[in-house]
Amino acid sequence: MPPRNQPTDLTPLSPAVFHILLSLGEGERHGYALRREIAQRTGGKLKLGPGVLYGSIHKMLEWELIEESDERPDPHLDDERRRYYRITPYGRKVAQAEAARMRGLVQLAAAKFGAPKHA
Amino acid sequence: MPEDPLSVRLYRRLLKLYPAGFRENYAAAMERAFRDELQESHGVLLWLRLLADLAVSLPEQFARELAQDARHTIRLWAARPWHTAFAILALAIGIGANTGVFSVVNALLLRSLPFRDADRLATLQIFFPPLDSPRHFHDWRTQSDYLADAALWETGDVNLGGSGEWQRAHVAQTSWNFFQLLGTQPILGRAFAPGEEVEGNGWGTPGPNAVAVISYGLWQSLYAGEARALGSTIRIDGNPLAIVGVAPPGFDYPEQTVIWKPAAYSGGNFGWTTIARLKPGITWERARSEVLADGYRVWPASRRAPHSKPSTLTPLRDELAGPSKRASLLLMAGVALILLIACTNVANLLMARTADRAAELSIRSALGASRARISQQLLTECALLSLAAAFAGLAAAFATTSIAARLQPAALASQTYSLLDRRVLAFAIAVSLLSGLLFGVLPALYASRVHIFGTRSSSDVRGSRAIRDTLVAAQVMLTIVLLTASISLGRAFTAIMHLDRGFNRSGVITAGVSLEGTHVETDSGRIAYFQEVFGRLRRLPGVRSVSSTQFLPLVAKGFMGGRFSLDGRRASENSIVVPVLPDYFRAMGAGILAGREFTPADLQSTAEPAIVNDAFARQFGQPGELLGRHVDIGNSHWTIIGVVKRMDYLADGANGSEIFRLSRSPGGWPGWTVVVKVDGRAEERLATIRDTIQSVDRKVPVFGVKTMQQRMDDLFARPQFYRTAVTFFAAFALLLAIIGIYGIVSYTVARRTHEMGVRMALGATPETLRVVLLRQGLLPIVAGAIPGIALAVLSGRLLESLVEGARSVEPAAYAGAVLFIAAIAAAGIRIATRPIARLDITEILRTD
Repeated sequence: MPPRNQPTDLTPLSPAVFHILLSLGEGERHGYALRREIAQRTGGKLKLGPGVLYGSIHKMLEWELIEESDERPDPHLDDERRRYYRITPYGRKVAQAEAARMRGLVQLAAAKFGAPKHA
Repeated sequence: MPEDPLSVRLYRRLLKLYPAGFRENYAAAMERAFRDELQESHGVLLWLRLLADLAVSLPEQFARELAQDARHTIRLWAARPWHTAFAILALAIGIGANTGVFSVVNALLLRSLPFRDADRLATLQIFFPPLDSPRHFHDWRTQSDYLADAALWETGDVNLGGSGEWQRAHVAQTSWNFFQLLGTQPILGRAFAPGEEVEGNGWGTPGPNAVAVISYGLWQSLYAGEARALGSTIRIDGNPLAIVGVAPPGFDYPEQTVIWKPAAYSGGNFGWTTIARLKPGITWERARSEVLADGYRVWPASRRAPHSKPSTLTPLRDELAGPSKRASLLLMAGVALILLIACTNVANLLMARTADRAAELSIRSALGASRARISQQLLTECALLSLAAAFAGLAAAFATTSIAARLQPAALASQTYSLLDRRVLAFAIAVSLLSGLLFGVLPALYASRVHIFGTRSSSDVRGSRAIRDTLVAAQVMLTIVLLTASISLGRAFTAIMHLDRGFNRSGVITAGVSLEGTHVETDSGRIAYFQEVFGRLRRLPGVRSVSSTQFLPLVAKGFMGGRFSLDGRRASENSIVVPVLPDYFRAMGAGILAGREFTPADLQSTAEPAIVNDAFARQFGQPGELLGRHVDIGNSHWTIIGVVKRMDYLADGANGSEIFRLSRSPGGWPGWTVVVKVDGRAEERLATIRDTIQSVDRKVPVFGVKTMQQRMDDLFARPQFYRTAVTFFAAFALLLAIIGIYGIVSYTVARRTHEMGVRMALGATPETLRVVLLRQGLLPIVAGAIPGIALAVLSGRLLESLVEGARSVEPAAYAGAVLFIAAIAAAGIRIATRPIARLDITEILRTD
């Protein structure tokens, strides 16, 4: 495992990673649930294909942003057993750092261009 | 269980593209995600999205795992830096030497010549087309049944001047269609026209042929590449030539020519070379039989020398590659052997390392790493090793090519050996990959066995040991081949260098001068010039004797000569004629068998003295019997005043009759050579000698100031290079083999420490154990020696046919080579088994 970095070292996060962290912030999810939730949240703009989804999960596991919880069936879908993931405390810090970074950007943009009327 | 739908099966296939580690972790999950997605959408859009997803994530995952494997590999390398450095070095030398030698072979034999359709061009040998006049020649070539076209050339060195300093230049006179035949167009101006050829002797006779095409290099240096060069005049040996064209860059055929001029034809000149282009559809075989018949038609047997060879023709490419063709192929074989040895050695090293890592690999597989994942790791290790070796090898190749470039045949001098040639680079890559496969495949196979069994069983140890012993045997076999070849080539070279050449090269300094076209024109002026040169040189301290000759032994390329008679009796062979000045034989340290040498007094008398060599004398009697008799040819009648030992004028050894005559008009074609015999180290006197000669007349060019030894070194640089190269190969092969054997034995000792401890506890002494190991270590050497000797005998025969003077070595030398390898290996094994003597039994058994 690579030594754990400062949360800000990993920012800016890729949209896929940030959205996965956002979803897991609400609770444990399996891969497909993550994909569905992100698609809904972004109005279908961000649809993660299996390769990008699991590539991101793989990377986030390695960075210790998330960890695997037990394997168990998805109560909403079917009886198939699925792998569930949950966010780590470090993952929360990184997500906060990313949010802070974005907030800074938004404030800067508002100062420059004014706040949007229909936010 | 119902079969999966086609799309799922297809997607499963695609998942196989992912690297092993990622695939094992996520393939199942991804397949499930795909099934989920299938329920939402399908059709072209889904597949397009999936392909885009694949295109994004595949490279990323590959890069990740590759980086991971590479980091792991580098950690492994760092743990055994010597092993790694040795493996990379061995491969680098192997790959580098192969690439370097291949770049030479490529330039010599494979790359296209700078001529149109070069593979249809030929040189006619021992063939003299009708040359009495331009018309005769052109009638002959246009009426030929088998040649589409033919052209003539003859080269010589001239004094090139016009403004200021004179310089020496290589000039070719050619039939007007020379450029047209080769398919080369001047980049500026024009080539020659039909009316520009003349009849008559001489290089610079003013006439319609007083025009010239100059080389690109000369154009740059004389006219800075400006178009005003066209129409301006250059002087060769004092005669003006008008420049009509500039040859393309890199074109210097024949023989590094810088100036081409239209030919002057004369029946008595045999210095011409005929080149030709075969008619379409004519095979080389057919052309050879045609030229044979044609040769007798234009030059009947009655006009030929009794034992002269029949006419033939050779592809121009082979002619240009010359003797280097065979030698380059020989070198190629040598370096290929080196690479094979390097590969077996690295394979051996990796085998030992993989065996060492059996525990690590078993643990990794127990932790869930699949066979594919482990193979991928090993493959990355091999690929990285060949990559590192390939880079180091390219560096080595640069060195090899620069050495090879210095030894290239003159005819190809403009064809630089470039590593940036597409074919050479492709070769380097192919060689690296191939060697990676060669040394990577055995360890990988072995590793997969380790993995299957989970742990190492004793049969595994034996199996790997057998493979490694075989590899050592193969190395020993190849080493014997290289060792005996180096002995054979080394002897051939020593023989060449120690031949009695009929003169004493030590202390002899040679310097070229040419009076052609300078203001020293009259015969008396020429003699006076040389007498002044000799006078000034003789006044230098340590100068023993001074003379000059038109042709220097071994070095001179063109000769005069013919069939002489002695008092009206025709000699049975042709003689070459060497014009010299007084004291020539004293300066060259030649042996006078009878009579005397030319003296300055001979120059004053009106008699025409000559000195013949023993080969000429032998045709008529004892040396002493020839004194005072007359040799004549045509209008020349000379009186023999001395008989000398034969001097070697031709480097190829076909030396025969020589007649030396006293010249009263020295300094002309092809440039005379002043020879100076000095005391002490000749190379330290070069500058003084050159300055002294130059001081006599600033306008006479003095060139090629070298010791005779340097000239001979230049002459035999190629055989010397081959000997050095093969000796180096043999030494390197030996080193690799020894390291291989040492590695195996020390590895065995380390592996079997425990077993040795038990044996010693049961009464074996360290010495008996070491003897057992010695016997085991020597076994593969014996096994390799037998096929090795057989191969060496075969390669010895091949060498005999390829290299002049190379003789197969005698059986004793084979035995010597094997014993030598065995002795060095035994020493290596003794050193490797030294730890046994220090084994502490109680310590070993306690760990049990």
